[in-house]
Amino acid sequence: MTETWGLAALWLGLALIAVLISIWLRIATALSEIVVGIVAQLAIGTFIGAAALGADQSWIKFLSGTGAIVLTFLAGAELDPVVFKLKLKEATAVGLMSFLAPFLGCAAAAYYLLHWDFQASWLAGVALSTTSVAVVYAVMLEFGFNKTDYGKTVLAACFVTDLGTVLALGFIFSPFTYKTLIFFGASAIAFTILPWLTPRFFKRYGERPSELEAKYLLLCLFGLGALAAWADSEAVLPAYVTGMVLAGTVGKDHALIRRLRTLTFGLLTPFYFIRAGSFVSMPALLAAPVAFIILLVAKMVTKFAGVYPVTKFYGSPKTEAMYTTLLMSTGLTFGSISALFGLSHHIIDQSQYSLLVVTVIGSAVVPTLIANAFFLPRHLLRLAPEPEKHSAEQKVVAPQLADRK
Amino acid sequence: MIKRILVAYDGSAPADKAYAFALDLAKKYGADIHVIAVARPPDFGDDVETAAILENSVKHYEKILAPLKAQAASQGLNPHFKVVVGHPAEQIIYCAEEHKADLIVMGHRGKTLFERLRLGSVSKHVIHYAHCAVTVVR
Repeated sequence: MTETWGLAALWLGLALIAVLISIWLRIATALSEIVVGIVAQLAIGTFIGAAALGADQSWIKFLSGTGAIVLTFLAGAELDPVVFKLKLKEATAVGLMSFLAPFLGCAAAAYYLLHWDFQASWLAGVALSTTSVAVVYAVMLEFGFNKTDYGKTVLAACFVTDLGTVLALGFIFSPFTYKTLIFFGASAIAFTILPWLTPRFFKRYGERPSELEAKYLLLCLFGLGALAAWADSEAVLPAYVTGMVLAGTVGKDHALIRRLRTLTFGLLTPFYFIRAGSFVSMPALLAAPVAFIILLVAKMVTKFAGVYPVTKFYGSPKTEAMYTTLLMSTGLTFGSISALFGLSHHIIDQSQYSLLVVTVIGSAVVPTLIANAFFLPRHLLRLAPEPEKHSAEQKVVAPQLADRK
Repeated sequence: MIKRILVAYDGSAPADKAYAFALDLAKKYGADIHVIAVARPPDFGDDVETAAILENSVKHYEKILAPLKAQAASQGLNPHFKVVVGHPAEQIIYCAEEHKADLIVMGHRGKTLFERLRLGSVSKHVIHYAHCAVTVVR
C-alpha cells in the first residue's frame, strides 16, 4: 500500500496547490486543477517519468470517474423544475439553438479547417457546445434578471443546452444495438420511478449519521452508469438526467447538496480535473497554436450566433445582451468530460485532446476577460441623470457616462 | 445636504472604519443608511462550484452584516442591509444609483498586485464612475 498512499498524498498535494492558486487568482478550482495537472505531468514526466503520476492506475480512474458522475449529477440538480416546466417551450427553442450552433459550427471547423476525421470532428462539436449554467446564473443575479421572464428562459435554456451535449455524447459515439434499447428503456423507467421513490425513501429512513442519502444516490448513479457503459454510452448522461429529475426533491435539500459537494470537491473532482489536465501534451499544443485559435474562435462565434439574437429578441439592451452572450461561452465541466470521453474511447488522439481541453479552458477565460475589459464596471449603469438635480462635480461625470452607454 | 448614504461593506477592518464613519455622518445629517455587501463569483467560473461559492458568500455576508445592525441601533439608527451578487465596483455604483445615494462610503483595501492589474482597484472604479460623492476611509 506504500505506493498507493504515496500517490494519494501526491495527488492531494497537487489538489491543495490548485485550491491555493484558485483562491489567490479568484478563478474556479476546476480550472486551476486542470492547469496544475498539465504542469505536474510536464514536470514529473520530464524529471521522473511519464508514468510517475499514475493517472492510469485503476483507483485513480475510479475516483476520477466518480467525480465526473457526481459533479454532473449536482449540475443537473441545480435545475428549477417549476420554472423549467413553465418555460419549457421557449427554453427548448433557445437551448437547442445555443447547443446546435456551436455543435455544428465547431464540428464543421474541426472537419473542414483542421481536417480532423468525422468522429473526432463530432466530438469537438460536442465538447465545445456546452454552457456553464451557474456562470450564467451569476450573470442573471448580477442583472437582477433571475426573476424576469427573460432570465428564467435563458437559465432553463442552459439546461437544455447541456442536456443536448450529454445526449450527443451518450448516443453519437455508441453503436445502436439491443443494448442501447435496454439502456434507454431501463433509464426511462428509473427516471419515472426515482422522483416518486426518492423523497419517500429519504423521509422514512433519511437524516441519520449513516448518510443513507449519499449511499442511495451513489447506488443510483453507479447502477445507471454501469448500464450506460455496458451499452457503450457515457455514464454522465444518466447522471445528469438523474440530477434533473431529482432537482425538485433532492435538489431542494440544501443540507444534502452541501454534503455531496463536500465529498465531490474534497476528494473526487481534484482527481478528475488533475487527471484531465495530465493528459494534455504541451508539445502538441505548441506545435498547433493556429488550431487552438480556430477552435476558440469557432466556439465564440457560433455561441454568439446562437445566443445573441435570442437575447435581442427578448429586448435585452445591447451591452447586457453582449455581456450575457460572452459569459455563456464558458463550459469547463462538460467540455472536459466530453474531451476525456473522446480520448479514452480512442475517438480523438492526444494532440486533439490537448487542443480541445485548452480550447475549453480558453472559452472560460477569454470571453470573461473580454466581458470584464469592455463591460465592467459600466454595463449596469443607467443613462446620465438630469444635470439640474446634481452637483457641479456630477455634471462633469454625467457626460462621461452618457458617452459610454 | 446628505439624505442617503450608501456603505460598501466587506467585513475588513477598513470597512468597519467606513461603517463607523457613515454612522457618524448619518447621525449628524439625519440621513438614511444603506449597507451593501457584494458576493463575487469567481472570475473564470464553472458549474457547480460557482453555485456553491455564491451560496457560501451570500451566507457569509449575511452573517457579518448581522452585528452591524446592533451597532447602528445603539446609536439610534436603522440602516437597510442587502447582499448583492456581481463585480464589487459595479454593484456599488449601481446600488448607489438605485437608492439615489448622495454619498458612497467605503473602506480602502489593499489588493494584491495581480488583482489590481486584472480588475483595477474597486475604490478607483467607484470614484471614477459614481454619480455622487465618494469617501474612501483609510
